[in-house]
Amino acid sequence: MSMTAAVGDAHADPHHIGLVVEHPGPAPKRIVTAYGFWVFLLSDIVMFSCFFAAYAVLVSQTAGGPKGSEIFEQRNVAIETVCLLLSSFTCGMASIAADVRNRFWFYLGMAVTCVLGLIFLAIEFREFADLVARGYGPSRSAFLTAFFSLVGCHGLHVSAGVLWLLTMMAQVFAKGFRADVLRRMMCFALFWHALDIIWVGVFSVVYLLGGGS
Amino acid sequence: MLGKLDWSAIPFDQPIPLIAGAVVLVAILAVLIWVVVKGHLPYLWNEWITSVDHKRIGVMYILLASVMLLRGGSDAIMMRIQQAIAYQSQGYLPPEHYNQIFSAHGTIMIFFVAMPFVIGLMNLVVPLQLGVRDVAFPTLNSVGFWLTATGALLVNLSLVIGEFARTGWLAFPPLSELSYSPGVGVDYYAWSLQISGVGTLVAGINLVTTVLKLRTRGMNYLRMPMFCWTTLASNLLIVAAFPILTATLAMLLLDRYLGFHFFTNEAGGNVMMFMNLIWAWGHPEVYILVLPAFGIFSEVVSTFSGKALFGYRSMVLATMAICVISFMVWLHHFFTMGAGPDVNAIFGIASMIIAVPTGVKIYNWLFTMYGGRIRFATPMLWAVGFMVTFIIGGLTGVLVAVPPADFMLHNSMFLVAHFHNVIIGGVLFGAFAGFEYWFPKAFGFRLDERWGKLAFWFTFTGFYVTFVPLYVAGMLGMTRRMQHYDVAEWRPWMIVAAVGMAMLSIGVICQIMQLVVSIRNREALRDRTGDPWDGRSLEWATSSPPPVFNFAFDPDVRGEDVYWNMKVRARQQSLEHEEPEYHDIEMPRNSPTGFVCAFFATIMGFALIWHIWWMVILGGIGAFATFVVFAWRDHDEYVIPAAEVAAIDRVNLEERRSLVSMAGAV
Amino acid sequence: MSDQAHIGHDLAPGDEEQHDVGTRILGYVVGLVLALLLTATSFFIAGTDLVWQPSIPVALIVLAIAQMGVHLVFFLHITTGPDNTNNVLALAFGLLVVFLVVGGTVWIMAHLNANMPPMDQIMPKPM
Ligand code: HEM
Ligand SMILES: [Cu+2]
Repeated sequence: MSMTAAVGDAHADPHHIGLVVEHPGPAPKRIVTAYGFWVFLLSDIVMFSCFFAAYAVLVSQTAGGPKGSEIFEQRNVAIETVCLLLSSFTCGMASIAADVRNRFWFYLGMAVTCVLGLIFLAIEFREFADLVARGYGPSRSAFLTAFFSLVGCHGLHVSAGVLWLLTMMAQVFAKGFRADVLRRMMCFALFWHALDIIWVGVFSVVYLLGGGS
Repeated sequence: MLGKLDWSAIPFDQPIPLIAGAVVLVAILAVLIWVVVKGHLPYLWNEWITSVDHKRIGVMYILLASVMLLRGGSDAIMMRIQQAIAYQSQGYLPPEHYNQIFSAHGTIMIFFVAMPFVIGLMNLVVPLQLGVRDVAFPTLNSVGFWLTATGALLVNLSLVIGEFARTGWLAFPPLSELSYSPGVGVDYYAWSLQISGVGTLVAGINLVTTVLKLRTRGMNYLRMPMFCWTTLASNLLIVAAFPILTATLAMLLLDRYLGFHFFTNEAGGNVMMFMNLIWAWGHPEVYILVLPAFGIFSEVVSTFSGKALFGYRSMVLATMAICVISFMVWLHHFFTMGAGPDVNAIFGIASMIIAVPTGVKIYNWLFTMYGGRIRFATPMLWAVGFMVTFIIGGLTGVLVAVPPADFMLHNSMFLVAHFHNVIIGGVLFGAFAGFEYWFPKAFGFRLDERWGKLAFWFTFTGFYVTFVPLYVAGMLGMTRRMQHYDVAEWRPWMIVAAVGMAMLSIGVICQIMQLVVSIRNREALRDRTGDPWDGRSLEWATSSPPPVFNFAFDPDVRGEDVYWNMKVRARQQSLEHEEPEYHDIEMPRNSPTGFVCAFFATIMGFALIWHIWWMVILGGIGAFATFVVFAWRDHDEYVIPAAEVAAIDRVNLEERRSLVSMAGAV
Repeated sequence: MSDQAHIGHDLAPGDEEQHDVGTRILGYVVGLVLALLLTATSFFIAGTDLVWQPSIPVALIVLAIAQMGVHLVFFLHITTGPDNTNNVLALAFGLLVVFLVVGGTVWIMAHLNANMPPMDQIMPKPM
């Protein structure tokens, strides 16, 4: 009883709906890996949505502390945004370089992405440190709690991204553009772009909407 | 140096946990020593601990769930005894101890029994049913399992070092906030769930990707066995709902560790937001558990009725409908908190709507059985027992989803009876059915039917004797989580419930006996054909236990009930004996990544609970380093040569041919 | 399972149809320019009093969604093509859940707040 025996049979289309397109079989590894990571990103975005929801609920609970408009600095946020946007672009350049296996442009693209990410983190860190120093830390009010957690959660993701980025560079240095390295690079790019999308939500909802007078 | 940890963490003054802990510790040590002395350690390490084979990982999940079922069951026994004797007295468990027990019981049963059991079955079976070699991410699969085990370990550690939460299995604030619960109990709870939650998420991503991207040639969506569909739905829910749990617990932890104000009473925090968020996860969670059970029953009912599943497409539709609607009903868990009539009405209606696809399923199973040649083997008994029991649970569920009724029944014993009705009658019966059904596939021999049937009948009747009294007590006004009470009317019902608990325990003992007896008689019970139940889907097309690579060549799929049709075709064609052409097979190499990673996660979790910050950092670095080492390895696959594949496969083909020709001769 | 071979009609999320390097770079440049424009508009609108004030929140949300779309298309290469069906379906499911969680939470919490006394009046004080 060979399982591959070719027999014409009536079971192929039990419901008589006409043409049945045969599923071609397991997808190549690149698709499988990236798809799995895509699903992870969606779950990560659901997690962020909880912090967004919490922010929306708590934004008015200032408990006598400052309101958003009193502590947000539009200029800093603009710089942060530009940094992340540019870094998304350079990350894209690095992915292309990886695909054509050009080490020089890959390192350059990744290095610039890293620097931009670090600038972003530095600005955010300064903003946080400054707020805490003025007594407006996360324990001051529910609003500040929600603010620090939402923005900080994004910041933690960026930090993890930078760590991953450096690991990626080291790996290309040590192993070259192997298939598995390229797959990881692809996931990294997805991750970095997704963080940028989340940042669009953050600056729009937190800083611009919440900062308006 | 050691944060909050010192000798006072060991409960020298409380004999029960200390003795229980000591017994467990001695047992573990004994097993370890036996393993080492007998020289089984290399085997365990190479074949199980570092295995990335989905079948092995599935078995380990189920083993973890079974062990934890004993732990959670002991808690249940203690609670039933307490409530049977604590009429106008304090019983034998002081309140703070009783509170820890019901919290641990719920947490363990949901997160470390029900979850690993269904995830284990999905892991074991789904790749086989899809006709593929492994899941999408084999190493991550192992990481997921070991992180779940870490969570279970931490919960049980709380028995002897420190304490467990007293806040119920969902740790509602403000009770779970630092001001009301300053001890480490809630931290044990939250960190174990965070760590095992990562494991669950990984498993979810893995199985979603497996079903969507790894089906074998010809396995179109509408040819997948029902269990694959429910697996897809359940894991989509995991991926979408578990991040909510993670975020919510993270908020609680931030409140407790860093003085944030998400759920506190002061500074504008909002307790109700916790209720809201946790149930936004909590309701999907119950469907995460029960959907795979529905899939198992579908397979079992169709196999043992000897018929294709009735209404396959409506079943698919119902499954996916439940998957989406389950995200629209969460408010029915806090109708009484005052969201107002409009909001309540909408969520009430949504809750009724979700009962419709469930009803569709029940009808489909009944029609599948109708006119079939039904064999009442043990898995089928569990399936029929489920149908009866689950209908009652569903009805009481619809009842408490009617807001005015819920105002009477919320937080009563009626509610406790309801959710045990669906969780035991649905999930646990399903898990047992799946266990009996696929055990021969996993191990190559059947389970003893006599002990199996005995176990079923004790559990089935025991269930009713335990939980019908709880329904009654609930109607008589008894609220849940009472350490003692003064109402005479409740007393008899509590005593009956305790008797029921004893019957349930006998059921569990029968199940253990079944295992022991079957292992003893395994030669007599051996399944040589790989198809002990006259099955219909692809897992039965390979030997029992399947070789590492599952299938020697890609199965050729041309319709639903793939294997059944293969058998039919083979009989009709009187078997051409030409030998298939074998190829080399690449398989993923084993890896200790999961185990090592979980080791560091355990250290990190423990250190976080006890505020030992240097250890936290050490654990974090260790986990990161583990992944880097994994990423650095040069060979992630090994090759099984075609000759070896052929040798393994020929044996099985021989057995199978004789089976088919015998059946054909009849 | 070879890596580059595209069996059937399927594309990994983030992958584009086969293009030469120039076209690919151009895609990122267009995306960057569009995103920068949208960002600038957002910041401008938030800070100005030239537009009707009550329309500002709506405008900001619309701009944010537009910008997310730009990112998805030009950076993540999500298209409506048949090779992307699975990716888009997953995205749609994720967005549905996000919408339900955020929308549901805001809606429910607004009603709860309207109907409930403050928590500290109905809870016992800490032990
Ligand atoms: C084996 C028979 C079982 C018995 C006799 C039993 C008994 C109990 C009791 C007495 C409570 C506490 C009621 C109270 O609040 O006073 C409880 C709670 C609970 N049980 Fe079970 N249980 C059993 C099995 C299970 C199983 C198999 C599961 C899940 C798979 C489960 C899940 C839960 C949950 C989630 C709670 C809620 C905890 C809470 O909210 O307080 N139980 N059970
Ligand atoms: Cu519910």
